[in-house]
Amino acid sequence: MPNLETDSKLVSDEYKYGFETVIPQDSFPKGLNEDVIRALSAKKNEPEWMTEWRLKAYRKWLKMKEPRWADVHYPPIDYQDISYYSAPKRDAANAAEIDEEMKRTFERLGVPLHEQNALAGVAVDAVFDSVSVATTQKDKLAELGVIFCSITEAIHQHPELVKKYLSTVVPTGDNFFAALNSAVFTDGSFCYIPKGVKCPIELSTYFRINAVDTGQFERTLIVADEGSYVSYIEGCTAPSRDRNQLHAAVVELIALEGAQIKYSTVQNWYAGDDEGRGGIYNFVTKRGHCRGKNSKISWTQVEVGSSITWKYPSVILEGDNSVGEFYSVAFTNKKMQADTGTKMVHVGANTKSTIVSKGISAGQSRNSYRGLVHVLPSAENARNHTQCDSMLIGDKCSANTYPVIECENHTAITEHEATTSKISEEQLFYIMSRGIDEESATSLVVNGFCKEVFKELPMEFSVEAIKLLEIKLEHSVG
Amino acid sequence: MTTINLDQAFTAALDAARFQDVVTSTPDASIRAKRQAAFDAYQTIPMPTARDEEWRRTDPASIPFGDFDLLPALRPVAAGAEQELDTLFDVVVTVSERGYHITDRSGLLKSGGLVVCSLDEAAHQHAEAVARHVHGPALIEPNRKFTELNGAFWNFGLFIRIPAKAEIGKGVLVRYRLAKNQALLVPKLVVVAGEGSRANVVEVFESDDACPVLCIGARELYVGQAARLQLFGLQEWGRTSYHIGEDWAQVERDAQIDWVTLTLGTKVSKMTMGCDVRAPNANAYLSGLFFANRDQHVDQRTLQQHSAPHTYSNLLYKGAVKDQGHSVYQGIIAASPGAIKVDAYQMNNNLVLNTGARADSLPGLKIDADDLKCSHGSTMGNLDPEQLYYLRSRGFSDAEARKMLVLAFFEEIIAKIPYEFLQERIREDVHRKI
Repeated sequence: MPNLETDSKLVSDEYKYGFETVIPQDSFPKGLNEDVIRALSAKKNEPEWMTEWRLKAYRKWLKMKEPRWADVHYPPIDYQDISYYSAPKRDAANAAEIDEEMKRTFERLGVPLHEQNALAGVAVDAVFDSVSVATTQKDKLAELGVIFCSITEAIHQHPELVKKYLSTVVPTGDNFFAALNSAVFTDGSFCYIPKGVKCPIELSTYFRINAVDTGQFERTLIVADEGSYVSYIEGCTAPSRDRNQLHAAVVELIALEGAQIKYSTVQNWYAGDDEGRGGIYNFVTKRGHCRGKNSKISWTQVEVGSSITWKYPSVILEGDNSVGEFYSVAFTNKKMQADTGTKMVHVGANTKSTIVSKGISAGQSRNSYRGLVHVLPSAENARNHTQCDSMLIGDKCSANTYPVIECENHTAITEHEATTSKISEEQLFYIMSRGIDEESATSLVVNGFCKEVFKELPMEFSVEAIKLLEIKLEHSVG
Repeated sequence: MTTINLDQAFTAALDAARFQDVVTSTPDASIRAKRQAAFDAYQTIPMPTARDEEWRRTDPASIPFGDFDLLPALRPVAAGAEQELDTLFDVVVTVSERGYHITDRSGLLKSGGLVVCSLDEAAHQHAEAVARHVHGPALIEPNRKFTELNGAFWNFGLFIRIPAKAEIGKGVLVRYRLAKNQALLVPKLVVVAGEGSRANVVEVFESDDACPVLCIGARELYVGQAARLQLFGLQEWGRTSYHIGEDWAQVERDAQIDWVTLTLGTKVSKMTMGCDVRAPNANAYLSGLFFANRDQHVDQRTLQQHSAPHTYSNLLYKGAVKDQGHSVYQGIIAASPGAIKVDAYQMNNNLVLNTGARADSLPGLKIDADDLKCSHGSTMGNLDPEQLYYLRSRGFSDAEARKMLVLAFFEEIIAKIPYEFLQERIREDVHRKI
């Protein structure tokens, strides 16, 4: 029988994205004040309204207190000890060319920036530290009227769209980190899918934190106009360092009548070393708004990195018959901490939501699910089904579940189920009796446990997620 | 309206001077010391506010503490009229604002087969048990304002001790009935079930709708090795009353507690039930029935603490809300590090009978051990339209069919009460609310 009780030595799995790119950086000195924000805004050549918008958010942020209610522990963050802008220096002469070094970086990460090499069917926006370095497949998208570019570009070229939708889902003063992000966000992606267009290729953003002592504050806005469809993929990595870095992103999704947005994330930020030193603080606000009738927003996330993850991709189901989905796998190992889950707010009639959350804790990690299902009095016939399962590998980790269900409509039906248990010894025994070693057996059981979520991912991504989990699980038994 | 600082308003009435009165009227030195320790803690713990997670859905400011007067310590009085319910029990304790009376209906107390007495008396005759158990180790959550308040200011304390191996056939009934406007009752119940004993304890709280009272109660239940204790609490204070209860149980090796909480009364109830299964093969069965209609607000929080391996707990709380009623259920299953081979379950079912009523459910798991099975479930919804249709097609009116289904929903809990007379009474009370 496999002996899981014994000290499960979680030998450092190789974090193959932990390399650093040596490249001249153009960074701001550390510190945050109104001048920094003005300078940042000027650097990006932003219009006056944007600068004002940032300053307003900053002033709100000053009055806010950092929330501490999550089940995560970390030393206080010194917001003056972070550089709020860092970008690879570009040669003034050929500014349009992407630096060779950076190209290599993204190639090592498996993100092809050359369009000819591009994985067929995926358009990529790559964000390196604070700025977007390249967006591929633009022309193909332009034919359909799809706008996919960095948010900075959108502010310049599509200000009317940005003005109309930015911060309408996550207001600037929504929470401490959203306010900070609004004040200092540097880049991110912007997508607009026009009426009736089914985006034929997957849109993808790859985020990379490279420089030391920087924070990455990305801002993503996706608008799916009436009857349109888009699938969006996000991936993240960072070099291994022994200092913590802050990543505070805001992602807003807006689905108008009959529109569908599928948002998938594989988050593999550097998670710190075995002693819990270093790693990314991933404090993210993600929220979708099903604004129109019959719209649908689906979040799928695979969280395997970051020393601390704190995020709740949510859906506000306002349009009648709208659908919200949340599929999540959160894997924690070593001294990682994850407090993640979702919020489904049912406003419209016949709204439906599904939540499937799979938590796997190993090592000395803490893994919490926190969720809210709120059925407002107006949500006739609302329906929710929630399932969250936790699996424990080793006896020093913890798994917590904190769901909140609030029901104010008598025609609504909500169901919530949660289980926590050890990886099944019987299943392991069965697989091992077929001649498969313990590590592979564990990996198989864990993959089976996560299957419901993986099958929601786009195909290539799903394969990658399974591989990723396998690597993360290496040495976590025995 | 001026806003008053709740802490000040409340503690102004229950302050050091008031505490001195309570201490002077306490005859026993060991009890005085226990009160003092609780009072010291009570003073340092801030009054909870709606900003505390536990009180977020029940604002302490919705309880007008300042309107109520602490009753002086209750003394023995002559027996009141016997009720039909009383005949079902071995020992009946009646409590009112005038005092309390203990009736030894089957001579068990006289023969020494059972101890039921006031805490003051117990401090004399069972000094060691009192020292060990009163305001003792069952209080597993520290810094609780109302548990400490109860420990310092209790004005009625009851001690029940079931000797080892004793089997109490009919059980003990504690009947509270208050008829004094604005009375503040602070009852403390301590039950010590000796090794291998069996007993039932029933507590009933009643008052008229027209007579607002505030009750801040605490229970400490110690279930000794291989003992089995069944505890039923029927809370039917009038609709203008308030109830805060913080109850704690400790279950030892091979022992079992069956703890049924029925909450039908009051305007606002805020209760915490914490149970620690603290030795291998300890079992806890926690059940609850609650029904909030009109403007009632019921907030219940449960804690299933598993601090030892090979322990078992099973919880089922069923509630209904109607009119503007609001119910809150918060539950936690907690497994301490090393508590392996634990099997814990928690289920909360809610019926939301009309829009305007509201039910909140917060089941939770806090797991720090690995080899175990903990799960919870929570459902919300209205009556099944198919079942309604079936009954309608058999000639029942809509109202009749609804009543029948609501009663059927609760029957699972009601059936756990081994007294048919009480069962019938609860069914009638539920019926009246639909």
